[in-house]
Amino acid sequence: MNVNDKTLQALASGMKFREMRQEMISSNVANAETPGYKAKRLDFEKALARALDVDGQMGMKVEDGQHYDVGNGGFENLEPEVYEDPNGVVNESGNTVNREDEMARMAQNKIMYDALVQLTNKKLGMKKYILNSER
Amino acid sequence: MDLLKSMKISSSGLAANRKRIEAISSNIANAQTTRTAEGGPYRRKEVAFGSEPARDNFADVLEGEIDAHAQKVHATEVVSTNEPPILKYDPTHPDANADGYVAMPNINVMKEMADMISAQRAYEANISAINTSKSMAMKALEIGR
Repeated sequence: MNVNDKTLQALASGMKFREMRQEMISSNVANAETPGYKAKRLDFEKALARALDVDGQMGMKVEDGQHYDVGNGGFENLEPEVYEDPNGVVNESGNTVNREDEMARMAQNKIMYDALVQLTNKKLGMKKYILNSER
Repeated sequence: MDLLKSMKISSSGLAANRKRIEAISSNIANAQTTRTAEGGPYRRKEVAFGSEPARDNFADVLEGEIDAHAQKVHATEVVSTNEPPILKYDPTHPDANADGYVAMPNINVMKEMADMISAQRAYEANISAINTSKSMAMKALEIGR
C-alpha cells in the first residue's frame, strides 16, 4: 500500500491553496475601503489539474530521442496564479472590492475546505481499515 | 501558517475601522465646539487608509512572491480637514466676533452617522472573515480523528 498516494497529495495541496485563497479574500475585505486597492483573485485549479493529470493529456510527452522528460510538474512546484480581478467595478476612490461578492466567495471557499477535510478523513479511514484488517 | 495570517489581516481591518469610528465619534461629539487647543473652531477629522504587505517578520519577507499579494490595511494618518468653518449669526455666543457671527465646525452630523454605519459594517465584515478563518483552522484539527 502506498501511504503517501496521489489522492492525499492532491487533498493536501487543495487545502493549502484554499487557505491561501482565504488569506487573499481576507485581504480584499480588510482593504474594501483603501483608496486604489484592487480586488485580488487566486487561481490554483488549473495548476492542480496539471499536477493531477487525470487523463494523461496535460503533461509533456517524450516522443523523440532528443526530448527531455520534464514530467507533469508534480505537487512540489505547484504555483497558484494571483491576479487583479478584471471584472471589478472601480468606485470613486479607485477601489474594486465588492464586499458582498467577497463574503460569498469566502463562504464557498470554507465549504470546499471543509469538504476537503472530510475527504481526507475518509481516505485516512480507509487506510486505517486496511491496516487493521489482518486482526 | 496561512490561516493565522488571514486572521492577522482581518484584525488589521478591525483596528483600522476602530480608528475610523473613533474619529467619527470625535467629530459628532465636537460638532458644536468653537474653542480648541490650536485655536478656532474644531476641525473635522478624517482617517486615511493605506495597504501594506502582510509581513511581520524576516521569515515572511523571505517566503516569497505569493504572500506579498495579501495586504493588510492600516490607518495611515488622522488628518484634520481644511473645510472652512460655517459662520452662524448668534450675537449672544461668547465666541461671536464683532459682527455677531460665530465660526462653527463644518460638521454634518447626518453624514457622520452614515459614515459610522458604514464603518460598523466594515468592522462586522472583518469579524465574519476572522470567524471563517477560525472555523477553517478548527476543522483542519479534525484531520485524522
